[in-house]
Amino acid sequence: MSSRAAWPRISIGRFFVFAFLAFAVCFYGIPLLWLFIAGTRSEGSLFSDPPFTIGTWDVFVRTWTNLTTYNNFQIGTWAINSLIYSVGGVALSLIASIPAGYVLALSEFPGRKLILVVTLIAMITPSTAVVLPIFLEMNLLGLNNTYAGLVLATGFFPFGVYLAYIYFSSALPKGVMDSARVDGCNRFQLFTRIALPLARPIVALVAFFSFLANWSNYFLAFVLLSDDKLYNLPVGLTALVSGSGALSNLPANDVPIKKPEVILAAVLVVLPVFLVFIVAQRFVRSGMLSGAEKG
Amino acid sequence: MAAVELRDVKKSFGSVKVIDRIDLVIEKGEFVAFVGPSGSGKSTLLRMIAGLETVTAGDILIDGQDVTFAEPSDRGIAMVFQSYALYPHMNVYDNIAFNLRLSRFGKPEIDARVKEAARILRLDELLARSPAQLSGGQRQRVAIGRAIVRNPKVFLFDEPLSNLDAALRVQMRLEIERLHRELGTTMIYVTHDQVEAMTLADRIVALDEGKIQQVGRPLELYARPGNQFVAGFIGSPKMNFLPGSVVSTSGASAVLSLDADRNAMFERVLDGARPGAAVTIGARPETLSVFTSAEEVSAGMLTLPARIETMERLGNITFAYLDIGAPEMITVQIMGFSELSDQQDVVLGLRPDQLHVFNASGAAMTGVANA
Repeated sequence: MSSRAAWPRISIGRFFVFAFLAFAVCFYGIPLLWLFIAGTRSEGSLFSDPPFTIGTWDVFVRTWTNLTTYNNFQIGTWAINSLIYSVGGVALSLIASIPAGYVLALSEFPGRKLILVVTLIAMITPSTAVVLPIFLEMNLLGLNNTYAGLVLATGFFPFGVYLAYIYFSSALPKGVMDSARVDGCNRFQLFTRIALPLARPIVALVAFFSFLANWSNYFLAFVLLSDDKLYNLPVGLTALVSGSGALSNLPANDVPIKKPEVILAAVLVVLPVFLVFIVAQRFVRSGMLSGAEKG
Repeated sequence: MAAVELRDVKKSFGSVKVIDRIDLVIEKGEFVAFVGPSGSGKSTLLRMIAGLETVTAGDILIDGQDVTFAEPSDRGIAMVFQSYALYPHMNVYDNIAFNLRLSRFGKPEIDARVKEAARILRLDELLARSPAQLSGGQRQRVAIGRAIVRNPKVFLFDEPLSNLDAALRVQMRLEIERLHRELGTTMIYVTHDQVEAMTLADRIVALDEGKIQQVGRPLELYARPGNQFVAGFIGSPKMNFLPGSVVSTSGASAVLSLDADRNAMFERVLDGARPGAAVTIGARPETLSVFTSAEEVSAGMLTLPARIETMERLGNITFAYLDIGAPEMITVQIMGFSELSDQQDVVLGLRPDQLHVFNASGAAMTGVANA
């Protein structure tokens, strides 16, 4: 009797809800957990020990050294490249999409509906579908294999335009804009002094999604970049794997990149996204909610 | 020179006319209220004066200058919005100073003006706060402060008190009255609350369906409404309307009867009465009396048999709702407490000289106030 009282009573329905949630957490969380733990283990341990064995500090340091000394700290170059592409892409997409969404939401002009429809179509078109035309375009402009080429291509972010459009058309108080007009704001000042400061949550949200897309951008980068000095992390990771034969069961070679090194490289790819999310989530969450609440 | 002049102003959205041929002159220092029900066009007209809505036809002049196509900020106006419309990302000081900064005033000048506005509106303690930390009344005071620092030629108020609770509304009404007295600036005030219009305004512009129904001093509109709309809109509780007809005419005077009782006849001087024409008789609730029997009725009163449907006792005033067999209840205002009870059969007394008469198209046939 007393032991039963200690447990909160839950209905069968709730039990299944919790059971399903617990399953989902395990199903999606375990691979990530494994990834972070596996970076500390030796190749031998990966094969023979139980999956969640934690390796040693020495092994981790050796793996880290192998990875970072390979080809003159090539992974570092790729990480910096990734940062350049991502920050550049985020900046360009913000500069383009926030004002575009604002104008689409607040102005009436011929062709506005058409632009919205085209934006929507561009948004749902898989980005891989336009990789070839982008490649041809960049080739024509001589921007293949350059930082500017990939940044320019990733600055095209219709999803951001649409997010900003939704935000400005639903969450921007009309009275405040009218009041600013009476106070003497011209069209440009209306945007810079009133709309933009109020749109901080949506700027954070668009920046976050854009960063996410750019950081993990593989296919476009793979097609546009042929010089391995210009690779970003996802392309670099593939090059690392295929160049070293780490994941194929080839006969032993001299390249120090084995499975632990590749796993650690994968952690390097994933980690910044985690960090950015933790920093941005407060803004992102308020951005998602702000359309729903008044004032 | 007039402060604001509207000349044949029109506004349509597609084929829908929202504002239809409005001519109006507002003198310097005047406090004018635009009243009307929702959709009457009163807010649209105000926004047109502000420059926030385009004008389809006609001219708007402020201080003698044609501003029909001028930007809102070039019109010398300041506006207070129903939603307060404060900038949520700026504190009170910056909200009030925003316009002055845009106009490139020097820092000392801005500071002096903001402090002065804060003093007038008793906002001194709140200057560092953000709008989210203010109460409704405080926010509205900031909105007014933002307007007064500009020294505008005309203040425009768009239902500024309708988001406030009843007690605060009375207080802010007095503040606006004081402000008008202190500043002496022309003010145009849009409201659907006729108490605000009656108490604040020098003149009331009654609007309906985008047209001016009547312009006049508050009590003139109350005493001599130009048509049935104004008669019904000004005054609370609203005027009672009873169907009637013209029995006969002789010269300027006519004999009228109430449809509820053809024997209830009275004589009035009327414009354009024709024998047999249907009219609407208007009676303000406070001019009506309720008697328990026909013997009590004072001489010269018209009487109608009635039954009390329900009573509302407010302490100082009692409202009786009477059924006289017409589709609408008759409201009677009785001062003080009343011994009458629900479902009691009574006699309704009307004073013929205080009745309003409207023709079939709603225009007043008795004397009309004109301004």
